Amino acid sequence: MDTKEEKKEIVVGMADIKVGEAPSVLLTNLGSCIGLCLYDPQRKIGGLLHLMMPSAGAAVNKSELKKAKYADTGIQELLQQLKNIYGVRVSDCSAKIFGGAKILQGNIHNIGMDNDAAVRAILKDLGIRVGACKTGGEKGYKLKFNLETGAVACQIFGEQIQEF
Amino acid sequence: MTEKKKIDRALKLIAGLSIDKSSQVLSKMIKMGASIEMRDVYMADISQLTANRTAEDEKEVVGAFIDLVGDAPFKFLFYVSADDSLVLTDLILRREVGTSKEFDLYSQSAVQEIGNILASAITNVFATDFQISMRPSPPVVVNDYASTIFQEYIMSAALERDEILIIETVFCVVQQDISCRMFILPMQESEKILNYIVSTM
Repeated sequence: MDTKEEKKEIVVGMADIKVGEAPSVLLTNLGSCIGLCLYDPQRKIGGLLHLMMPSAGAAVNKSELKKAKYADTGIQELLQQLKNIYGVRVSDCSAKIFGGAKILQGNIHNIGMDNDAAVRAILKDLGIRVGACKTGGEKGYKLKFNLETGAVACQIFGEQIQEF
Repeated sequence: MTEKKKIDRALKLIAGLSIDKSSQVLSKMIKMGASIEMRDVYMADISQLTANRTAEDEKEVVGAFIDLVGDAPFKFLFYVSADDSLVLTDLILRREVGTSKEFDLYSQSAVQEIGNILASAITNVFATDFQISMRPSPPVVVNDYASTIFQEYIMSAALERDEILIIETVFCVVQQDISCRMFILPMQESEKILNYIVSTM
């Protein structure tokens, strides 16, 4: 069987990036983290970034920086991987944003909101259109990003699956 | 023995003592045999660890988050499937199993109480066996996907490091076929204390 035609489910962990092509499906679960899906509909290629914080700040100069942890370095890295592996250009991509919930109500600071704002600002600077977003709330998100269609099935804990 | 192996040994020792204490306290609380077993002490990359959890653990759970604050800060998590939390609620309230039908304030309090008692047992071990002063913070109870709860649990340690050291245990109430998970995560500031424990071994 041609592996290119095999439908693969690829799980994306926290502070991680995975890119792929149709018919693969990228999966992740989110709490306060943000899941950013970038998709090239012409070539049916996409990537998912599961980021934890808005900015790498001073850590940006660290030699072994885990770029996917942060919105600023993570989005650049995701675009780089899409370009290097599949030749996808920034102008080919559209974005969908999910997550950023406030799971622990005791926390005063809402990191999820900060992550959401940072991702939107970076995408705006890059001129990437945001096709859909579902962020905030107090419950976890389960995502399935289908690279055949570009659709993202999103299920917030305790709710029905919605497709974006 | 390498430094890492020594720290693993120290953590295993703390976990072993904590588990013994926790099993006794929990059995007394629910008036039923509860056994706690250490599954592993491991160092893992945060991305790999959370990807594995997402792939294998999709179920709905109720978790109690507790910070163990003091000389050696640790994070503690106890979680149980939503269905099993109802059985635990009935056992704690000394009701017939099956009385609790849905997750409510009683079940929330039950999970909170179990978390509190297990975390207190661990802080007692620190105090009595190692003369390390610790106290548990009030538990925060969350009902969500297991993988979401686990991600939030490791979040603050993962912000500091890309690899984390974690103690994973499973405890079972055999008669009721309940299986729960308990995790202990040393924060970076507790390294000094762990090294001290290593030096006394």
